[in-house]
Amino acid sequence: MTIAENLFENLRLELRRGCLTLAVLAQLRQERYGYTLRKALADDGLVIDESTLYPLLRRLETQGLLASEWREEEKRNKRFYRLTPDGEQMFAQLLAEWHAINASVTASVAATIQSTINPSL
Amino acid sequence: MELLDRYLEAVRKHLPWQRQDDIIAELRANLEAQLEEKEAALGRPLTKAEAEAWLKELGSPMQMAAPYQPQHYLIGPNIFPTYRYVLKLACSWAAIIYAIVTVVQLFATQNPSETALFDAVLHLPWVLITAAAWVTMIFAAVEFAMMRGYVKIPALCASSPHWTPGSLPPLGHDAASGKKPRSYAQAIAEAVFGILFLGWLTLIPQHPYVLMGPGAYWLKASPFQLAPVWAPLFWSIVAITLVQIGWNIAALLSGRWQRPQPMKQVVFKVLGLIPAAIILTAPGKIVVLLRHPATDQARYGLQLDAINHYFHWSAEVICVIIILQLGWSAVQLTLNSYRKRAAAI
Repeated sequence: MTIAENLFENLRLELRRGCLTLAVLAQLRQERYGYTLRKALADDGLVIDESTLYPLLRRLETQGLLASEWREEEKRNKRFYRLTPDGEQMFAQLLAEWHAINASVTASVAATIQSTINPSL
Repeated sequence: MELLDRYLEAVRKHLPWQRQDDIIAELRANLEAQLEEKEAALGRPLTKAEAEAWLKELGSPMQMAAPYQPQHYLIGPNIFPTYRYVLKLACSWAAIIYAIVTVVQLFATQNPSETALFDAVLHLPWVLITAAAWVTMIFAAVEFAMMRGYVKIPALCASSPHWTPGSLPPLGHDAASGKKPRSYAQAIAEAVFGILFLGWLTLIPQHPYVLMGPGAYWLKASPFQLAPVWAPLFWSIVAITLVQIGWNIAALLSGRWQRPQPMKQVVFKVLGLIPAAIILTAPGKIVVLLRHPATDQARYGLQLDAINHYFHWSAEVICVIIILQLGWSAVQLTLNSYRKRAAAI
């Protein structure tokens, strides 16, 4: 991997990190276990490694944003996660923040493109 | 599937021991569900090669287990800036104290040798490594205690609430004029080289060749010798150097090293007049004597007068230069003071 590729990979991971948490919180408004959550995220275009997603669920649970319980489904014990009330509140706040950031970045990028096309503006 | 069992056992070894069973049970449920879906899609069990490729895609057992470990820092980002600052200070002070101790030890021995000095210089990296190791250990212990909530030391944190804009050091005169301000390394170097200069200076009476080189042997063999006035001259220079070292160290200790010190320049210019004044006030303006005046006066008398006249004239020139510099400094200080008062109005 070249230095530029390595730098891109690091910046990409940094950019994705916060978004992943938001996406996981969004998905867990509905109860899911690890594998179905991963599939749901992948279906929405957000592929996450197992070694990233499953520890993330534990961390969010430790932070009080998720609750989990072991339950048998299809003859197999699975750990199901869902948002706690605190998690729901945090999700709403983060979503508002994400919308604000997204709008700002979109506006900045649009302004840059506009000034590139028409430098007199 | 035996390969999956072996994989999970390997992952278990790298997990926090309190949560191993729980994490492995969850991982097993998720991975088996994934495996079942893969096999259902293929309509047959995975071959060994396919299973190996799948597990390889998941990452090595250590890679899979690593994110489950709580994040630990030896020295975390919160106190790291303070650690780096203290490390720089500790290493600088270790170097200064080591230089002082080495110079004292060298002179405590009867015959200081170049080998002893060389050994002392070679030992310096170990002194610095030891200082750095102690600082690192202390900060690692502080980090450990702070992370577990045993202690709270907000003053150590980079985001300390005790910080106020009023505590910022003022801009130096040089910075205001656009020149590069005095750096910390420069302030340390001044202190260290001052001590080394003092060490070199105190070598001169016993080993004059460190000042004059081969000229020392020429002087010894010549009919001339230094007059007693050189003793107070020498000790006045030693005293001025000591004052300068003390001033630099005090400035470093008190944090004044980065502030402009116009008075320092004035004080040392005034002190610089003392050695010149000693030469000027030498009894009979005599700085150099004949070893054997009774026999050598006729032969070397005129030469001796010329040497003494040269020394006296040099001292006068030095005095004039210093006095002119002092006058210029006084004008600058007055102008700066006037500018500050005008700006305040």
